Amino acid sequence: MTGPILQFEAVDRAFPLAGDRRRHVLRGVDFSLDRGTSLAMVGRSGSGKSTLLHLAAGIDQPTAGTVLLDGVRLNDLPDTERSLLRRDRVGLVFQFFHLLPHLSMLENVCLPGWVAGDSATATRARARELLDRVDLADRADDLAGKLSGGEMQRVALCRALLRRPPLLLADEPTGNLDEKAGRQVMDLLLRLSSDEGAGLLYVTHSREQAALADRVLRLRDGRLESAQS
Amino acid sequence: MNPRLLRAALAHWRQARTLTLLTVFGVALGVASVVCIQTLNQGALAAFGGGMKAVSGDADLTVLGHGPDLDENLYPTVLAHPDVTAAWPLVRAWGRLAGHEDAYIEIVGVDVFAPVRFPVRLGDAGHATGDVTRFADLLHVPGWVALTPAYAEELGLAAGDTFTVAVADRLVTLEVGALVDFQRAAPLASRKLALMDISQAQHLFGHRGRVQQFDVQVRPGVAPEAVAAGLQERLGPGAQVLTPAQREQNAAGLLAAFRLNLTALSLISVLVGVFLIFSAVHASLVRRRREFGLLRSLGASRRQVLGLILLETAVLGLAGTALGLPLGYAAALLNMETVSATLTSIYLLSEIEQMHLPPLLVAVAVVVGLGGALLGALLPALDIARRDPVVLLGAAGLPERLSRLAPRLALVGVGVAAAVMVWYLGGGRAYKVSGFVLAFFLMVVLPLWTPLLLRETVGRIPPGGFGWRLGLRGLASRLQSTSFAVAALAVTVSMLVGITLLIGSFRATLDTWIGQTLVADIYVTGASWQRDLGQTWLADDTVDLLVEFDGVAAADLQRRLETRTDQGRRVRVVAFERRGDAQRRKISRVPLLAGDAETVERRLLAESVALISEPLARQAGLDVGDTLRLRGPHGTTPLAVVGIGYDYASENGVVFVSRATLEGMFGPGGVAAVALTMAPGRDPGAVMDALRVALDGRAVELRSNQRLRAEVMDIFDQTFAVTRILQAMALVIAVCGVSLTLLIMGRERATELALYRCIGATRGQLFRLGLSEGAGLGVLGLALGLAGGAVLAMILILLINRDWFGWTIRFALPTADLVWQGVWILGGAVAAAVYPALRASRTPATELTREDLL
Ligand SMILES: Nc1ncnc2c1ncn2[C@@H]1O[C@H](COP(=O)(O)OP(=O)(O)OP(=O)(O)O)[C@@H](O)[C@H]1O
Ligand SMILES: [Mg+2]
Repeated sequence: MTGPILQFEAVDRAFPLAGDRRRHVLRGVDFSLDRGTSLAMVGRSGSGKSTLLHLAAGIDQPTAGTVLLDGVRLNDLPDTERSLLRRDRVGLVFQFFHLLPHLSMLENVCLPGWVAGDSATATRARARELLDRVDLADRADDLAGKLSGGEMQRVALCRALLRRPPLLLADEPTGNLDEKAGRQVMDLLLRLSSDEGAGLLYVTHSREQAALADRVLRLRDGRLESAQS
Repeated sequence: MNPRLLRAALAHWRQARTLTLLTVFGVALGVASVVCIQTLNQGALAAFGGGMKAVSGDADLTVLGHGPDLDENLYPTVLAHPDVTAAWPLVRAWGRLAGHEDAYIEIVGVDVFAPVRFPVRLGDAGHATGDVTRFADLLHVPGWVALTPAYAEELGLAAGDTFTVAVADRLVTLEVGALVDFQRAAPLASRKLALMDISQAQHLFGHRGRVQQFDVQVRPGVAPEAVAAGLQERLGPGAQVLTPAQREQNAAGLLAAFRLNLTALSLISVLVGVFLIFSAVHASLVRRRREFGLLRSLGASRRQVLGLILLETAVLGLAGTALGLPLGYAAALLNMETVSATLTSIYLLSEIEQMHLPPLLVAVAVVVGLGGALLGALLPALDIARRDPVVLLGAAGLPERLSRLAPRLALVGVGVAAAVMVWYLGGGRAYKVSGFVLAFFLMVVLPLWTPLLLRETVGRIPPGGFGWRLGLRGLASRLQSTSFAVAALAVTVSMLVGITLLIGSFRATLDTWIGQTLVADIYVTGASWQRDLGQTWLADDTVDLLVEFDGVAAADLQRRLETRTDQGRRVRVVAFERRGDAQRRKISRVPLLAGDAETVERRLLAESVALISEPLARQAGLDVGDTLRLRGPHGTTPLAVVGIGYDYASENGVVFVSRATLEGMFGPGGVAAVALTMAPGRDPGAVMDALRVALDGRAVELRSNQRLRAEVMDIFDQTFAVTRILQAMALVIAVCGVSLTLLIMGRERATELALYRCIGATRGQLFRLGLSEGAGLGVLGLALGLAGGAVLAMILILLINRDWFGWTIRFALPTADLVWQGVWILGGAVAAAVYPALRASRTPATELTREDLL
């Protein structure tokens, strides 16, 4: 399938507040992202970056406008369909790594394969391959709790990439890491996603990291503007 | 207490509504099971006391015989005592109402000319309804009785109506002469009471010159106990003089083992309830640890925090108690009939017709509910209060401590087990309660081993997919929640399985025993036989007719009565006589535990010796060759024990003697039951039909071998019916625990669930994961409980039964029962998981904001 992997058309998102008031977080957001390209999203705290990512992943619904994931309109899909679409097309990376402490690293990486019901051996092989690519192959069977932050985020990256999703979403993936580890993770994120031919949308507070993307967009007062460096 | 602190706490519990409800419900069920059992226990005793009060009124002393009755010629001796101001004889007999299934009435004959100090004097018109003038007919109208209005109404009788009762094999027509409300003076008395003239009663039901008791009134200001001693001396060893308190004590003693067992059982529910509280409080405190950290950093003292937590728990405990009291009382009412049936069929006590909630029991319920709740809350509360505010505010939680503590807890468990064993083997077993002590500590050790077992079993399961194995692995990762649920379930299942094994084994043993002992073809008794212990018997011509009936090859005649050993132990004495075919053995069909069958048979016939039942041998420490001393109207008679036999009819013990021996001790008396063996080739069914025709007009009951066996098994099942409700209550509490744990887990790991959603798991998948966790808890609790139950069954059968009852029970596996219980437990656990799983499946993926995960 060709065409953009992700497309926002005049997307609004408002949250109801106490009383009859509403908080408009996103207004008329328009943009699209192609496979194999990267897009950095910047903006002040509270500007709606995470909300935008939630909409892209189909875990939140716009109040107006359309979100198209790989050409499929997410708006009217029932929850189960959206879950399945997310499972097959989206990989997510978070600021907090969200690894399950009672599982080994390998098992953490395998999780999306398990959820999808993929072949266990194939999943395992793929997980080992990814861990190898982030230089953690030798620690695959350790419990996740024993790793450093950078290592954890690398494991989380493998988890997101396990099922070769065409879209990768990352919300401040380096927000919890020191500079060096952050740079390493960022490099991996860009390299792996382009290796896999996936579209990458990431949120960052760092000018430096934003500059690594093919394109940079800024959110201000709920509106999208292209960022001048 | 700072009101703002309190308001914050209340807000929390309101928010966590399900958690609160489950906690309160857990306490309520624990309280309910205690209240239920204690109400029934009290009801049983109160029924006896009420019956005593209705019949004996405010008599200070009662003279009873050893055996079924007393010589009325002792009357002058009683009256002659200088401190006795009044005494009156009573004749008592049980009648069975003709035309009513299983309706009995106690008929009491009183002497109207004696200075009877009755609760309601027959001539007292104030309490009587109906035609008062009819009291004049008391003496000369045959069959004149006074009935309670309640029972008369129930039977559809009015003053002047007649009705028929069967006493032994006699049918007697009685006339409702007056309606008198005895219950007004003795509210707990049975309504099934009838009063009539003593000489008429003697003539109709009793035996010339015999009475059941003398009630005695002593001179005001003199201690009845002192008079009792003097009277006892005058009357000699043939009679016993008892105060009302002693009589109540005797009844209580009779029921002691029965009551203790039920009480112990009900305490298990409390134990499981304490687990539930522990788990709920712990979870709520973990969730609110920041809140407490904040309170502490704002200047609240440790004691204030501790006080706040305990106060909260106390409120929950009281709410649970308030709910549990009526629940328990309702459960008691629901079980009144079966327990009452046990009282009458096994212990031959009065049935329970009404119950009340004694104020003391309300206090006990509060202590149990409040105490249990506080006990459950104490450890987690102390833990929170002890901590530094910094630790509480920090991100690092308490959760994983239990995983590290697991080996140490298990070690403590081993230590406790070892200590208890050392105590037991080193002399503890001499105590009668030692079996209960072992059982209690089993229930303590099991939970101590649970965390380690969980960690080392399910904690090592490779997930390999998004299914039940991942769920199980997850259980091990939340030991601090799951351990409690599994432990509570394991304790409950242990109890279920232990008791099921006990009952199943006992039942199988009884079944075998019945097969060996009930071998005659037809059993004949009088209609009121079940309530009677030797006061009445079959007419001689009835017995002759049976023995000589066409088709009957042999007949075993049985006379029975109840008396005491010289040590005061209550025993049933059963005497046999064989008529007809002399080839077969008579008494030795009782399977022998000790003694040689031939010798036992020969000596029983020839000498004044006894074969005793196993419980009596064990409880009284008697062996073959020892001497048993039985009290009788002529004093104490020594009987050499020639054999010990298996017998499951009475926990108090049975003494088998020849009829001649019994006659020598208690004087002449008739036969209560006859067992007929058919001649070869004769069909018992046909003979029974012919007998029915021949016996027309006599109130006898004919039972086929098959029917008698079925009745015995029914009585057995009835006895254990009340345990079923206790088992059910404990199971419900444990299932609440499963629900609670899963809810807590769902909340504690909202981020984990949100992660699954982000990865693309559907709600359905999360729901199924939740269910499989419930099932996992169920399987784990079941597995651990089966092991615990097997041990508990051994304690119950080998120790508690031996010390309290003394039966030989052979182990049997009631497979079907156990499988069903397993199905129920698993089903319960899965059902308990439905709501939490539903809640978990609704976790929004956007919850991924917290940092609980790495
Ligand atoms: N469920 C919600 N209900 C109400 N308001 C919400 C909700 N989710 C987000 N908001 C609001 O929307 C605004 C945008 O939130 P969002 O998390 O998208 O910001 P962000 O750009 O990611 O900020 P940061 O850089 O701090 O992560 C915030 O003001 C937030 O309070
Ligand atoms: Mg954000």
